[in-house]
Amino acid sequence: MAGGALLGRLSWRLGRVAEVRLETPRVASLLLDVPGWEGHLPGQHVDVRLTAEDGYQAERSYSIASAPDGRRVELAVERIDDGEVSPYLAGELRAGDQFELRGPIGGYFVWQPGLGGPLLLVAGGSGVVPLMAMLRHRSATGSSTPARLLYSSRSLEDVIYRRELERLVAAGDGVTVTHTLTRAQPPGWEGHDRRIDAAMLKEVGWPPGDRPLVYVCGPTRLVEAVADDLVALGHDPDLVRTERFGPTGV
Amino acid sequence: MDERDLRLDGNAIAGMLAEVFRFDMTVEWSGCAACGARNQLGALQAYAHGMGAVLSCPGCGQALLRVARGGGRWWLDLRGMEWLQLDERARMPE
Amino acid sequence: MAGFITRGFRGRRRATEEEAGRLPPGQYAEPGFPVLTAGATPRIDLADWRLRIEGLVARPREWTWEEAQALPRSTFDGDIHCVTKWSKLGTSFAGVSVDTLLDQVEPLPEATHVIAFSYGGYTTNLPLEDLRDGKAWVVWEHEGKPLPPEHGGPARLLVPHLYFWKSAKWLNGLRLLDHDQAGFWESLGYHNRGDPWREERYWGD
Repeated sequence: MAGGALLGRLSWRLGRVAEVRLETPRVASLLLDVPGWEGHLPGQHVDVRLTAEDGYQAERSYSIASAPDGRRVELAVERIDDGEVSPYLAGELRAGDQFELRGPIGGYFVWQPGLGGPLLLVAGGSGVVPLMAMLRHRSATGSSTPARLLYSSRSLEDVIYRRELERLVAAGDGVTVTHTLTRAQPPGWEGHDRRIDAAMLKEVGWPPGDRPLVYVCGPTRLVEAVADDLVALGHDPDLVRTERFGPTGV
Repeated sequence: MDERDLRLDGNAIAGMLAEVFRFDMTVEWSGCAACGARNQLGALQAYAHGMGAVLSCPGCGQALLRVARGGGRWWLDLRGMEWLQLDERARMPE
Repeated sequence: MAGFITRGFRGRRRATEEEAGRLPPGQYAEPGFPVLTAGATPRIDLADWRLRIEGLVARPREWTWEEAQALPRSTFDGDIHCVTKWSKLGTSFAGVSVDTLLDQVEPLPEATHVIAFSYGGYTTNLPLEDLRDGKAWVVWEHEGKPLPPEHGGPARLLVPHLYFWKSAKWLNGLRLLDHDQAGFWESLGYHNRGDPWREERYWGD
Protein backbone atom coordinates (compact mmCIF):
# COMPACT_ATOMS: atom_id res chain seq x y z
CA MET A 1 0.00 0.00 0.00
CA ALA A 2 1.17 3.52 -0.70
CA GLY A 3 2.85 4.94 2.37
CA GLY A 4 1.16 7.29 4.72
CA ALA A 5 -2.47 8.22 5.17
CA LEU A 6 -4.63 7.78 2.13
CA LEU A 7 -6.54 11.02 2.76
CA GLY A 8 -10.19 11.22 1.80
CA ARG A 9 -13.22 12.00 3.92
CA LEU A 10 -16.48 10.13 4.24
CA SER A 11 -18.79 13.10 4.11
CA TRP A 12 -20.21 14.70 0.99
CA ARG A 13 -18.74 18.11 0.20
CA LEU A 14 -19.59 20.78 -2.30
CA GLY A 15 -17.32 21.47 -5.23
CA ARG A 16 -17.72 24.64 -7.25
CA VAL A 17 -17.07 24.58 -10.95
CA ALA A 18 -14.28 27.01 -11.78
CA GLU A 19 -14.07 26.08 -15.44
CA VAL A 20 -15.49 23.63 -17.96
CA ARG A 21 -13.02 22.88 -20.72
CA LEU A 22 -13.80 20.90 -23.84
CA GLU A 23 -11.05 18.39 -24.44
CA THR A 24 -12.55 16.47 -27.36
CA PRO A 25 -15.99 16.49 -29.04
CA ARG A 26 -17.21 14.11 -26.34
CA VAL A 27 -15.08 14.83 -23.30
CA ALA A 28 -15.11 17.84 -21.01
CA SER A 29 -12.74 18.55 -18.16
CA LEU A 30 -14.28 20.00 -15.03
CA LEU A 31 -11.99 22.11 -12.86
CA LEU A 32 -13.37 22.32 -9.37
CA ASP A 33 -12.62 24.32 -6.26
CA VAL A 34 -13.37 22.16 -3.23
CA PRO A 35 -13.06 24.00 0.08
CA GLY A 36 -11.15 21.90 2.56
CA TRP A 37 -9.68 19.57 -0.05
CA GLU A 38 -6.57 17.96 1.41
CA GLY A 39 -5.10 16.40 -1.69
CA HIS A 40 -5.23 12.96 -3.24
CA LEU A 41 -3.03 10.19 -4.61
CA PRO A 42 -2.70 9.77 -8.38
CA GLY A 43 -5.22 7.19 -9.53
CA GLN A 44 -7.86 7.84 -6.90
CA HIS A 45 -11.41 8.88 -7.73
CA VAL A 46 -14.30 10.83 -6.29
CA ASP A 47 -17.95 9.89 -6.07
CA VAL A 48 -20.28 12.54 -7.43
CA ARG A 49 -23.90 12.88 -6.31
CA LEU A 50 -26.53 14.89 -8.15
CA THR A 51 -29.95 15.63 -6.68
CA ALA A 52 -32.93 16.81 -8.71
CA GLU A 53 -35.62 19.09 -7.30
CA ASP A 54 -37.99 16.17 -6.80
CA GLY A 55 -35.39 14.43 -4.67
CA TYR A 56 -34.25 11.98 -7.33
CA GLN A 57 -30.54 11.22 -6.93
CA ALA A 58 -27.87 9.78 -9.16
CA GLU A 59 -24.32 8.86 -8.16
CA ARG A 60 -21.31 8.23 -10.37
CA SER A 61 -17.56 7.86 -9.84
CA TYR A 62 -14.96 9.90 -11.72
CA SER A 63 -11.20 9.50 -11.63
CA ILE A 64 -9.21 12.56 -10.65
CA ALA A 65 -7.13 13.77 -13.58
CA SER A 66 -5.06 16.40 -11.80
CA ALA A 67 -1.78 15.87 -10.03
CA PRO A 68 -2.04 16.31 -6.27
CA ASP A 69 -0.64 19.82 -6.31
CA GLY A 70 -3.22 21.11 -3.88
CA ARG A 71 -5.00 23.38 -6.30
CA ARG A 72 -8.07 22.56 -8.28
CA VAL A 73 -9.56 19.10 -8.54
CA GLU A 74 -9.88 18.15 -12.18
CA LEU A 75 -12.27 15.50 -13.49
CA ALA A 76 -12.96 14.41 -17.05
CA VAL A 77 -16.44 13.41 -18.17
CA GLU A 78 -17.22 11.60 -21.40
CA ARG A 79 -20.69 12.52 -22.63
CA ILE A 80 -22.74 9.41 -23.39
CA ASP A 81 -25.65 10.12 -25.73
CA ASP A 82 -28.51 8.66 -23.73
CA GLY A 83 -26.73 8.80 -20.42
CA GLU A 84 -28.37 10.23 -17.36
CA VAL A 85 -25.50 12.06 -15.69
CA SER A 86 -22.83 12.68 -18.31
CA PRO A 87 -24.94 14.88 -20.61
CA TYR A 88 -25.56 17.08 -17.57
CA LEU A 89 -21.96 17.27 -16.35
CA ALA A 90 -20.46 17.58 -19.83
CA GLY A 91 -23.21 19.67 -21.36
CA GLU A 92 -25.30 21.68 -18.92
CA LEU A 93 -22.88 22.41 -16.07
CA ARG A 94 -21.29 25.84 -16.06
CA ALA A 95 -18.79 27.84 -14.04
CA GLY A 96 -20.24 28.77 -10.69
CA ASP A 97 -22.42 25.68 -10.38
CA GLN A 98 -21.92 23.41 -7.40
CA PHE A 99 -22.42 19.71 -6.86
CA GLU A 100 -21.65 17.17 -4.18
CA LEU A 101 -18.61 14.97 -4.21
CA ARG A 102 -16.98 12.56 -1.78
CA GLY A 103 -13.43 11.35 -1.52
CA PRO A 104 -10.78 10.98 -2.65
CA ILE A 105 -10.99 7.22 -2.40
CA GLY A 106 -9.52 4.15 -4.03
CA GLY A 107 -6.02 3.70 -2.68
CA TYR A 108 -5.59 0.41 -4.52
CA PHE A 109 -5.30 1.86 -8.02
CA VAL A 110 -2.59 4.36 -7.14
CA TRP A 111 0.96 5.03 -8.30
CA GLN A 112 3.51 7.26 -6.64
CA PRO A 113 7.24 7.47 -7.46
CA GLY A 114 8.04 5.74 -4.18
CA LEU A 115 6.47 2.54 -5.52
CA GLY A 116 9.16 2.28 -8.19
CA GLY A 117 8.98 1.23 -11.78
CA PRO A 118 9.36 1.06 -14.66
CA LEU A 119 5.77 2.03 -15.33
CA LEU A 120 3.47 0.66 -18.03
CA LEU A 121 0.18 2.49 -18.38
CA VAL A 122 -2.48 1.07 -20.71
CA ALA A 123 -5.57 3.15 -21.43
CA GLY A 124 -8.76 2.66 -23.37
CA GLY A 125 -10.70 5.86 -24.08
CA SER A 126 -11.49 7.79 -20.91
CA GLY A 127 -9.47 5.21 -18.99
CA VAL A 128 -6.54 7.55 -19.60
CA VAL A 129 -7.81 9.91 -16.89
CA PRO A 130 -6.33 8.29 -13.74
CA LEU A 131 -3.18 7.43 -15.69
CA MET A 132 -2.84 11.10 -16.61
CA ALA A 133 -2.88 11.97 -12.93
CA MET A 134 0.01 9.55 -12.48
CA LEU A 135 1.98 11.10 -15.35
CA ARG A 136 1.26 14.64 -14.17
CA HIS A 137 2.42 13.75 -10.66
CA ARG A 138 5.53 12.11 -12.10
CA SER A 139 6.40 15.35 -13.89
CA ALA A 140 5.56 17.58 -10.96
CA THR A 141 7.86 15.64 -8.63
CA GLY A 142 10.72 15.48 -11.13
CA SER A 143 10.63 11.68 -11.04
CA SER A 144 12.79 9.86 -13.54
CA THR A 145 10.87 6.58 -13.37
CA PRO A 146 10.67 5.39 -16.99
CA ALA A 147 7.05 5.36 -18.12
CA ARG A 148 5.31 4.07 -21.24
CA LEU A 149 1.70 4.89 -22.06
CA LEU A 150 -0.17 2.77 -24.59
CA TYR A 151 -3.41 4.59 -25.36
CA SER A 152 -6.30 3.31 -27.46
CA SER A 153 -8.79 5.80 -28.90
CA ARG A 154 -11.41 5.70 -31.63
CA SER A 155 -9.81 8.47 -33.67
CA LEU A 156 -7.29 11.27 -33.31
CA GLU A 157 -9.94 13.81 -32.34
CA ASP A 158 -10.95 11.52 -29.44
CA VAL A 159 -7.49 11.53 -27.89
CA ILE A 160 -7.79 13.34 -24.57
CA TYR A 161 -4.82 15.50 -23.41
CA ARG A 162 -3.22 15.07 -26.83
CA ARG A 163 -1.09 18.21 -26.79
CA GLU A 164 -0.05 17.74 -23.18
CA LEU A 165 1.06 14.19 -23.91
CA GLU A 166 3.14 15.47 -26.82
CA ARG A 167 4.81 17.96 -24.48
CA LEU A 168 5.50 15.26 -21.91
CA VAL A 169 7.26 13.15 -24.51
CA ALA A 170 9.14 16.15 -25.90
CA ALA A 171 10.49 16.90 -22.43
CA GLY A 172 12.67 13.86 -22.94
CA ASP A 173 12.71 12.70 -19.34
CA GLY A 174 11.66 9.13 -19.84
CA VAL A 175 8.03 9.11 -21.01
CA THR A 176 6.90 7.51 -24.25
CA VAL A 177 3.36 7.56 -25.60
CA THR A 178 2.09 5.12 -28.20
CA HIS A 179 -1.35 5.66 -29.69
CA THR A 180 -3.59 3.23 -31.45
CA LEU A 181 -6.59 4.61 -33.33
CA THR A 182 -9.12 1.87 -33.79
CA ARG A 183 -11.91 3.39 -35.94
CA ALA A 184 -10.51 6.19 -38.05
CA GLN A 185 -6.98 7.36 -38.80
CA PRO A 186 -5.87 10.68 -40.31
CA PRO A 187 -4.26 10.65 -43.76
CA GLY A 188 -0.65 9.52 -43.58
CA TRP A 189 -1.09 7.93 -40.16
CA GLU A 190 1.77 5.53 -39.54
CA GLY A 191 0.83 4.45 -36.05
CA HIS A 192 -1.24 1.49 -34.89
CA ASP A 193 -4.78 1.14 -36.13
CA ARG A 194 -6.12 -1.91 -34.32
CA ARG A 195 -7.26 -2.91 -30.85
CA ILE A 196 -4.55 -3.50 -28.29
CA ASP A 197 -3.40 -7.11 -28.45
CA ALA A 198 -0.54 -9.23 -27.13
CA ALA A 199 1.75 -8.36 -30.04
CA MET A 200 1.30 -4.64 -29.44
CA LEU A 201 1.84 -5.02 -25.69
CA LYS A 202 5.00 -6.98 -26.33
CA GLU A 203 6.26 -4.40 -28.80
CA VAL A 204 5.40 -1.33 -26.74
CA GLY A 205 5.69 -2.51 -23.18
CA TRP A 206 8.54 -3.57 -20.96
CA PRO A 207 9.76 -7.18 -20.98
CA PRO A 208 8.38 -9.14 -18.03
CA GLY A 209 11.89 -9.52 -16.67
CA ASP A 210 11.95 -5.77 -15.97
CA ARG A 211 9.02 -6.31 -13.59
CA PRO A 212 7.15 -3.16 -14.56
CA LEU A 213 4.29 -1.86 -12.46
CA VAL A 214 1.29 -2.01 -14.80
CA TYR A 215 -1.93 0.00 -14.57
CA VAL A 216 -4.73 -0.77 -17.03
CA CYS A 217 -7.86 1.37 -17.19
CA GLY A 218 -10.80 1.66 -19.55
CA PRO A 219 -13.86 -0.29 -20.68
CA THR A 220 -14.16 -3.70 -19.05
CA ARG A 221 -13.59 -5.70 -22.20
CA LEU A 222 -10.38 -3.89 -23.07
CA VAL A 223 -9.07 -4.10 -19.52
CA GLU A 224 -9.72 -7.83 -19.23
CA ALA A 225 -8.22 -8.62 -22.62
CA VAL A 226 -5.10 -6.59 -21.84
CA ALA A 227 -4.69 -8.09 -18.36
CA ASP A 228 -5.03 -11.60 -19.78
CA ASP A 229 -2.51 -10.82 -22.55
CA LEU A 230 0.00 -9.39 -20.08
CA VAL A 231 -0.14 -12.47 -17.89
CA ALA A 232 0.16 -14.71 -20.96
CA LEU A 233 3.26 -12.71 -21.96
CA GLY A 234 4.78 -13.56 -18.61
CA HIS A 235 4.07 -10.51 -16.47
CA ASP A 236 3.51 -11.17 -12.77
CA PRO A 237 -0.23 -10.78 -12.11
CA ASP A 238 0.55 -9.22 -8.74
CA LEU A 239 2.15 -6.28 -10.56
CA VAL A 240 -0.87 -5.64 -12.81
CA ARG A 241 -3.61 -3.39 -11.42
CA THR A 242 -6.85 -2.83 -13.23
CA GLU A 243 -9.68 -0.33 -13.09
CA ARG A 244 -12.66 -1.37 -15.19
CA PHE A 245 -14.95 1.45 -16.21
CA GLY A 246 -17.82 -0.84 -17.21
CA PRO A 247 -19.49 -0.96 -20.62
CA THR A 248 -18.32 1.44 -23.29
CA GLY A 249 -20.92 4.12 -23.58
CA VAL A 250 -22.32 3.99 -20.06
CA MET B 1 -24.19 -4.18 -24.88
CA ASP B 2 -22.70 -7.39 -23.66
CA GLU B 3 -23.47 -7.97 -20.02
CA ARG B 4 -19.91 -9.16 -19.40
CA ASP B 5 -19.09 -5.48 -19.63
CA LEU B 6 -20.84 -5.00 -16.31
CA ARG B 7 -18.02 -6.68 -14.43
CA LEU B 8 -16.02 -4.12 -12.44
CA ASP B 9 -13.35 -4.11 -9.74
CA GLY B 10 -13.55 -3.48 -6.02
CA ASN B 11 -12.71 0.20 -6.80
CA ALA B 12 -16.19 0.62 -8.14
CA ILE B 13 -17.81 0.16 -4.72
CA ALA B 14 -15.14 1.93 -2.69
CA GLY B 15 -17.60 4.65 -1.66
CA MET B 16 -20.31 2.20 -0.60
CA LEU B 17 -17.87 0.11 1.43
CA ALA B 18 -16.42 3.24 3.05
CA GLU B 19 -19.91 4.16 4.28
CA VAL B 20 -20.17 0.81 6.04
CA PHE B 21 -16.65 0.11 7.21
CA ARG B 22 -15.30 3.67 7.49
CA PHE B 23 -12.07 2.51 5.83
CA ASP B 24 -10.86 2.71 2.22
CA MET B 25 -11.54 -0.98 1.71
CA THR B 26 -9.86 -1.20 -1.70
CA VAL B 27 -6.47 -1.51 -0.03
CA GLU B 28 -7.53 -3.94 2.68
CA TRP B 29 -6.58 -7.61 2.38
CA SER B 30 -8.91 -10.59 2.52
CA GLY B 31 -8.58 -14.34 2.36
CA CYS B 32 -10.89 -16.44 0.20
CA ALA B 33 -12.69 -19.11 2.22
CA ALA B 34 -12.89 -21.35 -0.83
CA CYS B 35 -9.37 -21.30 -2.29
CA GLY B 36 -7.28 -19.40 0.25
CA ALA B 37 -6.18 -16.69 -2.22
CA ARG B 38 -5.21 -13.37 -0.65
CA ASN B 39 -6.29 -10.22 -2.41
CA GLN B 40 -6.84 -6.59 -1.67
CA LEU B 41 -10.51 -5.77 -2.13
CA GLY B 42 -9.60 -3.46 -5.01
CA ALA B 43 -8.41 -6.55 -6.89
CA LEU B 44 -11.65 -8.47 -6.50
CA GLN B 45 -14.18 -8.69 -9.29
CA ALA B 46 -17.32 -6.71 -8.61
CA TYR B 47 -20.90 -6.66 -9.79
CA ALA B 48 -22.82 -3.72 -8.44
CA HIS B 49 -26.15 -2.06 -8.99
CA GLY B 50 -28.88 -0.31 -7.02
CA MET B 51 -29.81 -3.40 -4.99
CA GLY B 52 -26.30 -4.12 -3.77
CA ALA B 53 -22.97 -5.55 -4.74
CA VAL B 54 -21.00 -8.77 -4.85
CA LEU B 55 -17.19 -9.04 -4.68
CA SER B 56 -15.73 -12.29 -5.99
CA CYS B 57 -12.39 -14.02 -5.91
CA PRO B 58 -10.52 -13.44 -9.19
CA GLY B 59 -9.01 -16.89 -8.87
CA CYS B 60 -11.90 -19.21 -8.08
CA GLY B 61 -15.03 -17.04 -8.47
CA GLN B 62 -16.23 -17.49 -4.89
CA ALA B 63 -18.36 -14.58 -3.62
CA LEU B 64 -16.31 -13.08 -0.79
CA LEU B 65 -18.63 -10.25 0.13
CA ARG B 66 -22.26 -9.49 -0.59
CA VAL B 67 -23.68 -6.16 0.51
CA ALA B 68 -27.10 -4.56 0.20
CA ARG B 69 -28.59 -1.36 1.53
CA GLY B 70 -32.04 0.04 1.83
CA GLY B 71 -34.47 1.60 4.23
CA GLY B 72 -31.66 3.00 6.35
CA ARG B 73 -30.01 -0.39 6.89
CA TRP B 74 -27.07 -2.34 5.51
CA TRP B 75 -26.81 -6.10 5.18
CA LEU B 76 -23.50 -7.92 4.86
CA ASP B 77 -22.66 -11.50 4.00
CA LEU B 78 -18.99 -12.21 4.56
CA ARG B 79 -19.21 -16.02 4.61
CA GLY B 80 -16.97 -16.21 1.55
CA MET B 81 -14.11 -14.46 3.38
CA GLU B 82 -12.00 -16.53 5.69
CA TRP B 83 -10.48 -13.37 7.13
CA LEU B 84 -10.42 -9.64 6.53
CA GLN B 85 -7.59 -7.32 7.58
CA LEU B 86 -8.20 -3.66 8.32
CA ASP B 87 -5.15 -1.39 8.34
CA GLU B 88 -5.46 1.77 10.42
CA ARG B 89 -3.73 3.79 7.74
CA ALA B 90 -6.79 3.38 5.53
CA ARG B 91 -9.24 4.70 8.10
CA MET B 92 -11.31 7.53 6.68
CA PRO B 93 -12.34 10.48 8.82
CA GLU B 94 -15.71 12.19 8.61
CA MET C 1 -30.94 10.67 2.03
CA ALA C 2 -31.01 14.43 1.50
CA GLY C 3 -28.60 16.02 -0.89
CA PHE C 4 -27.66 19.37 -2.37
CA ILE C 5 -30.14 20.24 -5.12
CA THR C 6 -28.02 20.50 -8.23
CA ARG C 7 -29.04 23.31 -10.57
CA GLY C 8 -30.49 22.05 -13.79
CA PHE C 9 -30.19 18.33 -13.05
CA ARG C 10 -33.34 16.41 -13.83
CA GLY C 11 -32.36 12.80 -14.25
CA ARG C 12 -33.72 10.85 -17.17
CA ARG C 13 -36.92 9.62 -15.71
CA ARG C 14 -40.01 11.68 -16.29
CA ALA C 15 -43.57 10.42 -16.45
CA THR C 16 -46.56 11.75 -18.30
CA GLU C 17 -49.75 12.20 -16.30
CA GLU C 18 -51.14 8.96 -17.66
CA GLU C 19 -47.98 7.11 -16.74
CA ALA C 20 -47.86 8.65 -13.30
CA GLY C 21 -51.14 6.92 -12.50
CA ARG C 22 -49.61 3.56 -13.28
CA LEU C 23 -46.53 4.00 -11.14
CA PRO C 24 -46.41 2.33 -7.73
CA PRO C 25 -45.25 4.53 -4.87
CA GLY C 26 -41.64 5.70 -5.13
CA GLN C 27 -41.14 4.59 -8.73
CA TYR C 28 -40.02 6.47 -11.87
CA ALA C 29 -40.89 5.72 -15.49
CA GLU C 30 -37.93 4.32 -17.45
CA PRO C 31 -38.17 3.96 -21.21
CA GLY C 32 -35.16 1.68 -21.45
CA PHE C 33 -34.62 -1.73 -19.90
CA PRO C 34 -31.67 -1.51 -17.49
CA VAL C 35 -29.59 -4.63 -16.96
CA LEU C 36 -28.92 -5.47 -13.34
CA THR C 37 -26.80 -8.48 -12.64
CA ALA C 38 -25.08 -9.86 -9.56
CA GLY C 39 -22.77 -12.18 -11.46
CA ALA C 40 -21.56 -13.37 -14.82
CA THR C 41 -24.22 -14.43 -17.31
CA PRO C 42 -24.47 -18.19 -17.54
CA ARG C 43 -24.29 -19.47 -21.11
CA ILE C 44 -26.67 -22.34 -21.57
CA ASP C 45 -26.84 -24.56 -24.62
CA LEU C 46 -30.48 -25.14 -25.53
CA ALA C 47 -29.70 -28.83 -25.90
CA ASP C 48 -28.75 -28.91 -22.21
CA TRP C 49 -31.45 -26.52 -20.98
CA ARG C 50 -34.04 -27.97 -18.64
CA LEU C 51 -36.93 -26.56 -16.66
CA ARG C 52 -37.71 -28.57 -13.53
CA ILE C 53 -40.54 -28.40 -11.07
CA GLU C 54 -39.86 -30.40 -7.94
CA GLY C 55 -40.45 -30.53 -4.22
CA LEU C 56 -43.96 -30.82 -2.81
CA VAL C 57 -45.65 -31.94 -6.03
CA ALA C 58 -47.30 -35.24 -6.88
CA ARG C 59 -45.60 -35.48 -10.29
CA PRO C 60 -42.23 -33.73 -10.39
CA ARG C 61 -41.14 -33.23 -13.97
CA GLU C 62 -38.66 -31.69 -16.27
CA TRP C 63 -39.12 -30.11 -19.70
CA THR C 64 -36.56 -29.87 -22.47
CA TRP C 65 -36.47 -26.76 -24.63
CA GLU C 66 -38.52 -28.42 -27.38
CA GLU C 67 -41.09 -29.66 -24.87
CA ALA C 68 -41.38 -26.23 -23.30
CA GLN C 69 -41.84 -24.54 -26.68
CA ALA C 70 -44.67 -26.97 -27.45
CA LEU C 71 -46.69 -25.88 -24.42
CA PRO C 72 -49.65 -23.51 -24.93
CA ARG C 73 -48.30 -20.04 -25.61
CA SER C 74 -49.22 -17.27 -23.19
CA THR C 75 -48.35 -13.58 -23.31
CA PHE C 76 -48.08 -10.71 -20.85
CA ASP C 77 -48.55 -7.06 -21.79
CA GLY C 78 -48.07 -4.56 -19.02
CA ASP C 79 -45.73 -2.91 -16.59
CA ILE C 80 -42.72 -4.16 -14.62
CA HIS C 81 -41.30 -2.59 -11.49
CA CYS C 82 -37.74 -2.80 -10.18
CA VAL C 83 -36.99 -2.23 -6.51
CA THR C 84 -34.25 0.19 -7.59
CA LYS C 85 -37.15 2.51 -8.45
CA TRP C 86 -37.46 2.27 -12.21
CA SER C 87 -40.63 0.97 -13.80
CA LYS C 88 -40.93 0.02 -17.45
CA LEU C 89 -44.44 0.75 -18.58
CA GLY C 90 -46.04 -1.07 -21.47
CA THR C 91 -43.79 -3.98 -22.32
CA SER C 92 -44.54 -7.53 -23.44
CA PHE C 93 -43.24 -11.02 -22.84
CA ALA C 94 -44.26 -14.45 -24.19
CA GLY C 95 -43.79 -17.99 -22.99
CA VAL C 96 -45.94 -20.36 -20.96
CA SER C 97 -48.18 -19.65 -18.00
CA VAL C 98 -46.94 -21.11 -14.72
CA ASP C 99 -50.51 -22.37 -14.20
CA THR C 100 -49.99 -24.71 -17.18
CA LEU C 101 -46.85 -26.10 -15.57
CA LEU C 102 -48.38 -26.43 -12.11
CA ASP C 103 -51.37 -28.30 -13.55
CA GLN C 104 -49.00 -30.93 -14.86
CA VAL C 105 -47.04 -31.40 -11.64
CA GLU C 106 -49.99 -31.24 -9.20
CA PRO C 107 -48.80 -29.32 -6.13
CA LEU C 108 -49.51 -31.10 -2.85
CA PRO C 109 -51.90 -29.39 -0.42
CA GLU C 110 -49.10 -28.60 2.04
CA ALA C 111 -47.12 -26.64 -0.57
CA THR C 112 -47.24 -22.95 0.40
CA HIS C 113 -44.05 -21.40 -0.94
CA VAL C 114 -41.69 -21.64 -3.84
CA ILE C 115 -38.03 -21.11 -4.39
CA ALA C 116 -37.06 -20.33 -7.97
CA PHE C 117 -33.53 -21.41 -8.84
CA SER C 118 -31.43 -20.35 -11.80
CA TYR C 119 -28.42 -21.39 -13.81
CA GLY C 120 -25.50 -19.56 -12.21
CA GLY C 121 -26.86 -19.98 -8.68
CA TYR C 122 -29.38 -17.18 -8.26
CA THR C 123 -32.43 -17.92 -6.14
CA THR C 124 -35.54 -16.05 -5.09
CA ASN C 125 -38.49 -17.05 -2.93
CA LEU C 126 -42.18 -16.16 -3.02
CA PRO C 127 -45.56 -17.49 -1.89
CA LEU C 128 -47.03 -20.18 -4.18
CA GLU C 129 -50.20 -18.10 -4.46
CA ASP C 130 -48.25 -15.42 -6.30
CA LEU C 131 -47.48 -17.88 -9.07
CA ARG C 132 -51.08 -18.95 -9.63
CA ASP C 133 -54.17 -17.71 -11.43
CA GLY C 134 -52.61 -15.98 -14.37
CA LYS C 135 -50.07 -13.99 -12.39
CA ALA C 136 -46.83 -15.67 -13.53
CA TRP C 137 -45.08 -17.05 -16.59
CA VAL C 138 -41.89 -18.66 -17.74
CA VAL C 139 -40.95 -16.48 -20.71
CA TRP C 140 -38.46 -16.72 -23.56
CA GLU C 141 -39.54 -13.78 -25.68
CA HIS C 142 -39.42 -10.07 -24.97
CA GLU C 143 -41.20 -7.62 -27.29
CA GLY C 144 -41.36 -10.17 -30.06
CA LYS C 145 -37.72 -11.27 -30.00
CA PRO C 146 -35.91 -14.09 -28.22
CA LEU C 147 -35.06 -13.05 -24.67
CA PRO C 148 -31.41 -11.91 -24.77
CA PRO C 149 -28.93 -13.46 -22.29
CA GLU C 150 -28.39 -10.19 -20.41
CA HIS C 151 -32.13 -10.12 -19.64
CA GLY C 152 -32.27 -13.74 -18.58
CA GLY C 153 -32.36 -15.74 -21.78
CA PRO C 154 -32.96 -18.57 -22.69
CA ALA C 155 -35.87 -18.27 -20.22
CA ARG C 156 -36.73 -16.38 -17.09
CA LEU C 157 -39.53 -16.38 -14.57
CA LEU C 158 -41.93 -13.47 -14.94
CA VAL C 159 -43.99 -12.33 -11.94
CA PRO C 160 -44.84 -8.74 -12.89
CA HIS C 161 -47.08 -7.95 -9.94
CA LEU C 162 -44.06 -8.25 -7.63
CA TYR C 163 -40.75 -6.38 -7.77
CA PHE C 164 -38.69 -7.58 -10.68
CA TRP C 165 -35.95 -9.32 -8.68
CA LYS C 166 -38.55 -12.08 -8.17
CA SER C 167 -38.59 -12.66 -11.93
CA ALA C 168 -35.53 -14.88 -11.80
CA LYS C 169 -33.31 -14.76 -14.87
CA TRP C 170 -31.79 -17.87 -16.42
CA LEU C 171 -34.50 -19.96 -14.77
CA ASN C 172 -33.68 -23.62 -14.19
CA GLY C 173 -36.66 -24.57 -12.04
CA LEU C 174 -39.08 -24.13 -9.19
CA ARG C 175 -39.09 -26.03 -5.91
CA LEU C 176 -42.33 -26.14 -3.92
CA LEU C 177 -41.95 -26.04 -0.14
CA ASP C 178 -44.13 -25.95 2.97
CA HIS C 179 -42.15 -23.04 4.39
CA ASP C 180 -40.58 -19.84 3.20
CA GLN C 181 -36.86 -20.02 2.40
CA ALA C 182 -34.90 -16.86 1.69
CA GLY C 183 -33.23 -16.53 -1.71
CA PHE C 184 -30.22 -14.51 -2.83
CA TRP C 185 -31.49 -10.99 -2.12
CA GLU C 186 -34.02 -12.00 0.54
CA SER C 187 -31.14 -13.27 2.69
CA LEU C 188 -29.59 -9.83 2.34
CA GLY C 189 -32.46 -7.69 3.62
CA TYR C 190 -34.93 -7.72 0.76
CA HIS C 191 -38.59 -8.52 1.33
CA ASN C 192 -39.88 -12.09 1.17
CA ARG C 193 -42.85 -11.11 -0.96
CA GLY C 194 -42.08 -7.77 -2.65
CA ASP C 195 -45.40 -6.13 -3.54
CA PRO C 196 -44.59 -2.79 -5.22
CA TRP C 197 -48.03 -1.38 -4.43
CA ARG C 198 -47.31 -1.79 -0.72
CA GLU C 199 -43.65 -0.81 -1.18
CA GLU C 200 -42.47 -4.13 0.24
CA ARG C 201 -38.82 -3.53 -0.59
CA TYR C 202 -36.99 -4.65 2.56
CA TRP C 203 -37.49 -6.79 5.68
CA GLY C 204 -40.14 -5.41 7.92
CA ASP C 205 -41.70 -3.19 5.27
